[in-house]
Amino acid sequence: MLLLPALVPVLVFSVGPLVYGILLAFTDARSGRNAETSFVGLENFAELLSDGDFWESFRIGMIWGLSVTVLQFLASLGLALLLNQDLRLRGVARVLAVVPWAMPPVVVGLMWRLVYHPDAGLLNGLFGSDVDWLHDFSLALPAVIVVGVWTGMPQTTVVLLAGLQSVPRELYEAVSVDGAGAWRRFWNVTLPQLRPVVVAITSLDFVWNINQFSLVYVLTQGGPGGRTRLPMLFAYEEGFRYGFFGYAATLGVAITIVVLAVLGLYLWRQAREGD
Amino acid sequence: MKRLSAALAVAAVALAAGCGSGGGDGGGDAASGEPVKLRFLSLAWQKESIEANKQIVADWNTANPKIQVEYVQGSWDNVNDQLVTSFEAGDPPDVIHDDSPALSSFASRGFLLDLTGKIPAELNGDIPQAAWDTVTFSDGKSGQGVYGVPFLQESQVLIANKKLLDGAGVRVPTPDSPWTWDEFADAAGKLTKKGAYGVAWPMKSPVNKVLNLALNFGGTFFDTQGGKTTVKVGPQEREVLQRIHDQLYTDRSADPSALGMGTADPLPGFFAGKYAIVPAGVYLRQQVAEQAPSGFEWVTLPPLKGQTSQQGAVSQTLSVAADSKHPDEALKFIAYFLNGPNQAKLAKGDWLLPTSTTAAKDPALTTKENGWDVATASAKDLVVAPFLKVNGFDEWKSKVATPAMQEYFADKISLDELAKRLVEDGNKVLERYSR
Repeated sequence: MLLLPALVPVLVFSVGPLVYGILLAFTDARSGRNAETSFVGLENFAELLSDGDFWESFRIGMIWGLSVTVLQFLASLGLALLLNQDLRLRGVARVLAVVPWAMPPVVVGLMWRLVYHPDAGLLNGLFGSDVDWLHDFSLALPAVIVVGVWTGMPQTTVVLLAGLQSVPRELYEAVSVDGAGAWRRFWNVTLPQLRPVVVAITSLDFVWNINQFSLVYVLTQGGPGGRTRLPMLFAYEEGFRYGFFGYAATLGVAITIVVLAVLGLYLWRQAREGD
Repeated sequence: MKRLSAALAVAAVALAAGCGSGGGDGGGDAASGEPVKLRFLSLAWQKESIEANKQIVADWNTANPKIQVEYVQGSWDNVNDQLVTSFEAGDPPDVIHDDSPALSSFASRGFLLDLTGKIPAELNGDIPQAAWDTVTFSDGKSGQGVYGVPFLQESQVLIANKKLLDGAGVRVPTPDSPWTWDEFADAAGKLTKKGAYGVAWPMKSPVNKVLNLALNFGGTFFDTQGGKTTVKVGPQEREVLQRIHDQLYTDRSADPSALGMGTADPLPGFFAGKYAIVPAGVYLRQQVAEQAPSGFEWVTLPPLKGQTSQQGAVSQTLSVAADSKHPDEALKFIAYFLNGPNQAKLAKGDWLLPTSTTAAKDPALTTKENGWDVATASAKDLVVAPFLKVNGFDEWKSKVATPAMQEYFADKISLDELAKRLVEDGNKVLERYSR
């Protein structure tokens, strides 16, 4: 009974829409005042399998999700190691490292659009180049990935930093006695100790990144010619631009299943190696 | 999972639609003495245009205490997404500013009020039938309806550097004797010198531009038979595509690096003499007039001629939501908002062409200054663009046509390959909408 007040909002705002969304995936719901909805079984899923545009967008989503997560992790690890050193003004540096976290994705997107602006942008000004970063067919995706890495760094850094601080000092002392250098200390002590934190944060980051929407929507709206159309943007367009609600819901369900599968495989392997 | 999936987002909106049937804020009945409240979603974005819009609304509110209009600012960038959600939620603005390509799909989904027979005679007669054609669509069942009042139109003209034209000794065309595409290619060739190109084609969004110009040679791109629409790319459709491609890669009179640009982006190069001619919609004259360095002489050249000078027309429109509580009052407001004098103000604010025939006679819209005479004269060749009536055009455009045309103009695929993709991939998209 005491659980009830906590449960009601969860049921109404989270479980309810989720179940509704899953149900919607099995219908031909369309936008329209007089649209009739009927149950179509697995038809949407069959259509999905043969939808080349979706798989193209899925491929882009995977490239995006994996590269952002990996780069984010490497950059954050470097930053966390640095911030873990006994530097002057360490406090200030740590605060600065967290600042991007305070920015909503839309603001980040707008800011980086100015950085990438072909005429007035910081980047072209700096290099004296004349590149339209966000509208070039081959550069748009890398350019967006850079922004993705930048945005996600704070939380990854903070988590890794916390992990680093919980590594027992004695371990370092012990290997130092054995005459280990900085690299060996990192490889044999820091990394194994950090492992659970790394697994947790990379999997969370991956889920977060593959479901990214607002950042890319603001930066490129999926363009040019669909080169940055992540699966979520694709689903959004199907639903709100073209009005195929049922199919869009199917996309949402399919993406969730795939993400869970990828994540499950990753966690399972990590758990096995950890044993 | 922390992030909402698309499924959730869709579900949330659908839920909102389910329980939002009691929408419509306040208002009250005219009978009870309370003033009727209307919301007017405006997409004006140029400074002069926003001022003109707000001024007309303010005038109306002073003259009509019983019908109060609230000005709501929207943006072209996301208006259609915004409208879908508010239509589905049952709480749309009463008076909606949009453009004719968007109306077709909203009309077939029953979101807009059919205005047939409801438009005051004076307004009806002031706007020519060709413009009404741009807002006449299928109602999604078997009938046809008029789903908006068209008010501003755009034609494609050429904006040229006067000194370079005179220097190269090419004929300056007039509305009575415009350039043919051949003369244009010839002139662009003459204007191409070391480090300077005759023309810059900004092709970031190529589809509407190509489709509107294709009518010069009778290219319609779509063929409707027995209620089923298919894409067609025959010799007529290929003319304009081929000619632009030739300028880029055969004559080399057009700068390939301008291809990724949006319409206004070539202007710095145009002012610097790097491009002699920039094809653009008439509205671009505003930015040219405002940003041109002093002493820079520019002219507006009339639309090109193929077999005809016809161009596909798209209109900006005002529509009434089907869910509006006060459709009659909304129409009264529209009739006032779009009368001749007001349309003249709006056209001046946006540097576009009014549909109203009385507004088109306004001296400010026929002066030689800033090419208004040429621009206004070009309105006579505007005909309804065939793609307006195609259900699923938006998806065809963004998924198939835009990337394919961009690749064609970048010389990555051949014209045959382009035609194949437009037709085969395109028909697959259109099929979804005929089910």
